[in-house]
Amino acid sequence: MGDPVFYVEVSLAILIVGSLASLAVSGRPRLCGWLSAACAGASAVSAWLAAAGAFAGQTSERTLVSLPQLGAGFTLRVDPLSAVFLAIVAVVAPASAVYSVRYMEHYRGDKVAKFYPPLLLCIASMNGVLVSADLVAFLVCWESMTLTSYFLVTYERESAASQRAGLKYFVITHGATLCMVAAALLLWRVSGSFHFDAARETLSRVMSTQPLVAHLVVFLFFLGFATKAGILPMGDWLPDAHPVAPSGMSATLSGVLVKLGIYGLVRLFCWILVPSPPLAAWGIIVALAGTASLFAGTLTALRQTDAKRLMAFHTIGQIGYICLGLGAGVYCLSTAPLLASISLAGALLHAVNHACFKSCLFLGAGSVLYRTGTRDMDKLGGLAGAMPYTAGSTAVASLSIAGVPPFNGFTSKWLIVSGCILTGLRSPLFLVLGLIALFISIATLASFLKVLGAVYLGRADERRAVKEVPASMIAPQVALAALCVLLGVFPQPALRFIGQALESLNGAPAAAVATGGLWDGIALVDGTPVAFWWPLAALAALLILALLAFGIQRAGKARTRSVPVWYCGEEHGPETVRYPAGSYYLPFKHAVQGVYPAAKLPAPRLPVQVRRLLDLDRWLYMPAAHAIEKAAGGISRTHAGAPQIYLLWIVLGAIVVAAITLGLAR
Amino acid sequence: MVWLLLGCLLNVAIALLLSPLYEGLLRKMRAAIHSRVGPPVTQPYWDLLKLLGKEDLRSGGGMAYAALPALTLASVLLLATLTPMGAAAPLAFAGDMIVVLYVAGMSAVLIMLSGMTSGSPYGSVGSSREMMMALSVEPALAVSLAVGALKAGTLALGGMVDFQAQNGPSVSMSIAGLAFFLALQAQSGKLPFDIAEADQELMGGPLVEQSGPRLALFRWALWAKQLVLAFLLVEVFLPWPRLGIPVVDLLASGLKVLGVLLLVALIDVVNPRLRIDQAMGYFMRVGLASVSALAFAVIGR
Repeated sequence: MGDPVFYVEVSLAILIVGSLASLAVSGRPRLCGWLSAACAGASAVSAWLAAAGAFAGQTSERTLVSLPQLGAGFTLRVDPLSAVFLAIVAVVAPASAVYSVRYMEHYRGDKVAKFYPPLLLCIASMNGVLVSADLVAFLVCWESMTLTSYFLVTYERESAASQRAGLKYFVITHGATLCMVAAALLLWRVSGSFHFDAARETLSRVMSTQPLVAHLVVFLFFLGFATKAGILPMGDWLPDAHPVAPSGMSATLSGVLVKLGIYGLVRLFCWILVPSPPLAAWGIIVALAGTASLFAGTLTALRQTDAKRLMAFHTIGQIGYICLGLGAGVYCLSTAPLLASISLAGALLHAVNHACFKSCLFLGAGSVLYRTGTRDMDKLGGLAGAMPYTAGSTAVASLSIAGVPPFNGFTSKWLIVSGCILTGLRSPLFLVLGLIALFISIATLASFLKVLGAVYLGRADERRAVKEVPASMIAPQVALAALCVLLGVFPQPALRFIGQALESLNGAPAAAVATGGLWDGIALVDGTPVAFWWPLAALAALLILALLAFGIQRAGKARTRSVPVWYCGEEHGPETVRYPAGSYYLPFKHAVQGVYPAAKLPAPRLPVQVRRLLDLDRWLYMPAAHAIEKAAGGISRTHAGAPQIYLLWIVLGAIVVAAITLGLAR
Repeated sequence: MVWLLLGCLLNVAIALLLSPLYEGLLRKMRAAIHSRVGPPVTQPYWDLLKLLGKEDLRSGGGMAYAALPALTLASVLLLATLTPMGAAAPLAFAGDMIVVLYVAGMSAVLIMLSGMTSGSPYGSVGSSREMMMALSVEPALAVSLAVGALKAGTLALGGMVDFQAQNGPSVSMSIAGLAFFLALQAQSGKLPFDIAEADQELMGGPLVEQSGPRLALFRWALWAKQLVLAFLLVEVFLPWPRLGIPVVDLLASGLKVLGVLLLVALIDVVNPRLRIDQAMGYFMRVGLASVSALAFAVIGR
């Protein structure tokens, strides 16, 4: 039985070797896919073992490479907070990889060599980010994660949309990374070390001696993490980049990659910084940013008709929920630790839950794209009959994200909203934020009822033959949907792990969320129990009452007959009676139109020469490629296949060699 | 455990068996205002009985479609067990105010899904309108219950009821109660807010394709929901006089609920239907106005 760091090293090794291996066999797409899926699965098992070790109380640290002159080193450490996020990566990444095996077949022109190796490296760098205990190692992994995901976003070489989205992603996230590098250097200048412990000690000291520098460092880190997490307005890259990536990657991007921004924020505000009044001010800032993002993100999502773009905007919205919980928690850390741990537990649980339902939703949208070739919901309808598994798992995930009890999204939203309202007893601002969150959860519901209604329900188009996707694409969707239900009915184990993670942070007691055993309810304790939720009891009551209601329904022994829909006596084709996605909630959409307007920035007016200079494709890459191609063409022309010509070449070559030899000998 | 089951049974029985009676009384009053004799008070029971025996014509298929009516009624009955009726709610330990808000929304979601599943465009239009109404009404409901939570310092409905019963009326709770009442009008699908059903233009909206026992269950669920929400209003905002004798308290609540529902029906009779955008604007103003209740609660009034 090794320690957690050992298992993480194994997982990283599997992924790196796997990416090389998948590159080697990339000529055979399906073999390459299964190989990559196997590597992702094996590394996930190893990561799970590491997480289990961390929860069992083993916290270990190891330095692989050390640079004492710089005060830096490649130091790995697994604590319960990293373990929570490691577990998320280890659930979503293998699901995406397995899903991709068949999914990638529908890309005709692009090769899988561009997909699997970066995917595995991306998973490896995410694991690396989570276990780094040194700012240099952290930033190296962070950058590698950004780069590999950039290659995955721009997978479709011929699609202008994905190239543009990729460029936007590249520029914005690198700006954010620069902020973080600057913050790390500022810290290093004071302490002379890049180690997290040094940062922790230095930052709390600097907070009292040079508050301006300390707040600048916090602000730069906040900017970096919030950009990655997709907090508006910095997260503007997200709704462009997530839809254009291959669906397996979209699921990874939305399910886990943006969560690493959240991980960074939690690490920064709850672990590196000690609770203090200035920290409470940062709590308000994070909560306000989160609320702005959940409000604007979700209401903009409501207006979308592109299925994947809609889900990308919802990612912004749900990340907003997580930030709201985080902000409320950070606000309370120094004054009311019990309340703080309610909100923080809500934020972390929502991160876990969001990983399950959002990746399931992206995989579902991918399945529809795979079979119908479109993401435009106005062109779809009635797919539930043809794709029952996809429809079922999407329905479960939709109800989860909307927070319908007893699915998993409800428990975490309940924690966040309860935390906000209880914090509101001390500071009314949070009361208002909590109520906005409550309202937006109904808007989320509206948006996903639209998805269900427009894509899956209603009348199918008989002329379009749509089949269910292959089993290897169904399995990840169903597994994630099952996880949504399981985590919803039994949130206690997840909450207990999150409680452990909270105890490893600065002064957030886990006792505030009283979970009891697997069969008990959850109570929130702030001095006295103030809020209650018992999913299992509610579900049992609902099922018993449903049986009662069904008994009533069948009491009259009425006969059942299937009939066509009555369109007031006229026959219509499916496209005339279908209610398209664009038509849902029109008056409401008009009312909220201006919430997040699409800003059209003018292109910078550069001189033509500068623009030409920046266009590397035109003067460097493409000419070089053409020249090489031409040269290769010239060589291949010499190989005409006739033996006489080869003989001629041999004779000519022999003469040249003889001439040179004679010349040299003379 | 026995008391728990008996309590659940009592609340479920009230919601299930008394809701048609209340509906009958409301119809009687509406007829009186129209200067008609009106149907007998027991008419809703006979309606349900008749529908339960009629042929069940289904335009949709699949397991989900078949289970929707039973789940809808069950979600309303679950709401009844989470709502205090004369005494503390039997399942209070399983859900607080936020759970109650979400469970109250559940039946609406299920009805919308049945409208979309039926395949009729009228059903989809009705569901879309129902959702817009929920979007505008739920904030008012949430704010008014949050005022109770703010005053009592707990999210448990029982704690809010006890606090209100002991401390008497206050400015904030009165405003919040008014907002809740206006939301109740829309939640029970009464004029001027019956925009989703809109019998004259959408022929019942989400329920257009439902017939026989399925329609009976949906109808029953809607009546029961209106009764349970009225109980919630009466218990949280008007709990006086509270004697501590469960039977008397229950009877008093029942009478107050009748008063509230009669008022709802009165507004229903004398108003024409609003357009959806008018209704949304109206409830946006109600929601914003009820934020003033929050302000009053913060300063302790």
